[in-house]
Amino acid sequence: MAGFRLSPTLRTWLLRISAVLLVVYVCFGGYVWWAMHQTPEKFGQVMAKMPGPVPFLIFPFETAWMHARAGNLSIGDAAPDFSLVKLDKSDHVQLSSFASQRRPVVLIFGSYT
Amino acid sequence: MVYITEAHPSDVWQMESNVKDKVVFASPKDEAERAIVAGACVRKLGIKIPAVLDEFGNSTEQSYTGWPDRMYLIDAGGRVAYKSKPGPFGFKSSELKAALNRLLSTRASR
Repeated sequence: MAGFRLSPTLRTWLLRISAVLLVVYVCFGGYVWWAMHQTPEKFGQVMAKMPGPVPFLIFPFETAWMHARAGNLSIGDAAPDFSLVKLDKSDHVQLSSFASQRRPVVLIFGSYT
Repeated sequence: MVYITEAHPSDVWQMESNVKDKVVFASPKDEAERAIVAGACVRKLGIKIPAVLDEFGNSTEQSYTGWPDRMYLIDAGGRVAYKSKPGPFGFKSSELKAALNRLLSTRASR
């Protein structure tokens, strides 16, 4: 079976194009990775400029996100205390007050949008 | 619920799905504006669980890496018993339910 041979010139150009695409891919991925470590506002600004679903399709976005937003708390760590105002402004809620009553607490972080 | 920084405010990273659902809010400029959006969220979604507002410096969100959404279970000793992976990909209520059942069954057996 006759082998398919590329001319040396074509091969050189294909290698160059591949190298350029690789550099662009790494730089673009690095930019997204960097953005994932910024504030939510900065990350949102970066993602708003992305061409549609491209970052989700060509990068392991979910895997990177899980690492970038892993956070510092681990199972068994003392939960950082806070005292936050209730939405109806009727009172403050201090997290440590539940532990002093030996009551577990579920925390659900989120927003409307 | 700990109400934190908006995930997709209209002036930063608008989502088509939010437009479709008429959930369109610009970034709150202060804690009072955050409270207004949070109030709309609780009313429209019929959230019954107690809700608190993270202060505008986002200190609680940062301590817990809670943005855009995340769940924790804190045990009766004040320690982290369950921590979900970061949302939206890691926001799995079934995992929280399982962690709650484990914690409650451990308490019941004592």
